[in-house]
Amino acid sequence: MSAVVVDKVTKVFHPGRTDEVVALSDVDLTVGDGEFVSLIGPSGCGKSTLLRLIADLIPPTTGTVTVVGKSAGTARKEQAYGIAFQQSGLFEWRTVLKNVELPLELRGLSRAERRTKADQMLALVGLSDFAGHYPAQLSGGMQQRVAIARALAVQPPLLLMDEPFGALDEMTRERLQAELLAICAQTGTSTVFVTHSISEAVFLSDRVVVMSPRPGRITASIAVDLPSRDDAGRQSPTYFDRITEVRQALRGTPVKSTP
Amino acid sequence: MRWARAILPPVVFGLVAIAAWQLTVTAGRIAPFILPAPSAIWDELVEQRRNVWEAALASGENALIGLVGGTVVGVLAALAASRFRPLAEVSIPFAAVLNALPIIALAPLLNNMFESTSSIPRRLVAGIIVFFPVFINTLRGLREVNPIHQELMHTYAASGWTFAVKVRLPGALPHVFTGLRQASSLAVIAAVVAEYFGGLQNGLGSRITSAASFTAYPRAWAFVVGACLLGLAFYLTTLLVERLAMPWRTRLIA
Repeated sequence: MSAVVVDKVTKVFHPGRTDEVVALSDVDLTVGDGEFVSLIGPSGCGKSTLLRLIADLIPPTTGTVTVVGKSAGTARKEQAYGIAFQQSGLFEWRTVLKNVELPLELRGLSRAERRTKADQMLALVGLSDFAGHYPAQLSGGMQQRVAIARALAVQPPLLLMDEPFGALDEMTRERLQAELLAICAQTGTSTVFVTHSISEAVFLSDRVVVMSPRPGRITASIAVDLPSRDDAGRQSPTYFDRITEVRQALRGTPVKSTP
Repeated sequence: MRWARAILPPVVFGLVAIAAWQLTVTAGRIAPFILPAPSAIWDELVEQRRNVWEAALASGENALIGLVGGTVVGVLAALAASRFRPLAEVSIPFAAVLNALPIIALAPLLNNMFESTSSIPRRLVAGIIVFFPVFINTLRGLREVNPIHQELMHTYAASGWTFAVKVRLPGALPHVFTGLRQASSLAVIAAVVAEYFGGLQNGLGSRITSAASFTAYPRAWAFVVGACLLGLAFYLTTLLVERLAMPWRTRLIA
């Protein structure tokens, strides 16, 4: 079963008005089970819109979105996905632990179960020592890790991320990328990851989906087969080849066919 | 050291001001019925301390009941107005009219509605005065919701009520306390001043008027000092409660 199936989806904002915008035009996308897919493209290409459609935060104008075999709406109500944004969006009046517990709380889990799961998630992102802290006491990178722990708390089959590392410095960003990959490998979560960093997309993804603006559509889908996802992988020739390939796809020059 | 530097200047300024007052009154030979010397007021305060304390308790009780009642109603009204937009559109002008009304002026009318031994009129006046700042500030806080929080709660499929209790209300707490800080002093003023218009004669306000009518001005001033201390106690308690209610805030006055 595929984690996400986007079938002939079009999204038009303000249809019939003078400020009508075709954000997405005839988009098809399939994310396999356990697959890590990045959406990349210039600002305004509709990559965030596509993510929001999958999350059922906005409805498609035409076409259908299926998430883990259910309609997007049903999947949202069943918390079939976890989501993280560029801003961590932590609740500043809740401690780190209570923030991670919130989605579990809304699922009606008992206090003890919540506690156990949240503890596990915090251990996963390496923040067990900060469970009692308030978000304001943490650095930006740590806040983002809490947000990821929160997104994973219900152990969803799908993780949606909208530029989660966009506001972080390069060092923190690379460390969190490695951590994210380890977590995804450990939990078997499928991931849709929106970014506008080419290197980030290539390093993280099994497949990079390139989008172009006005109207937003998918122009290329590039499989990435790094020998390893670590510092050695970042130095490998394949890594640089794929970066070139994605860059060319973004510029719209024809992609060299790889033998 | 930093603590001393924060405390010392206002204390020194206060002492100098009192000394200057004392000097002006004694050296300038100002008649005590115009302005008594601080030393005279202090003597009265020490002599009357039991009366001041009891009167402060009576006024404080009225102010506290008005403050709690007005706050509860204000927060509930703001919650309702934030949930149902038409209600907000109706209630805001209504609340503004209520605020523009000199509420103290209602005291004699309210006194008329209840028995002469009833404390309800003062509590009502204090409550009505408290309502407005709490209502307006809370409503503003409830409306300012971080859009990411809104989306997150949507992805959790949270109901409107859950959203209100878990996100809107805690997010609005800083605003609630902004309102409460204004309201806590207002409640004391309302409770004391409402006593000027008759009714039960057991609070600071009635003691001030009766002392003044007996031309016992230093005694009247002693009760004024009591009212001042009572207002200060209310304000500081509000700050303390704010601190306890929002432990995630590292600074008290933000």
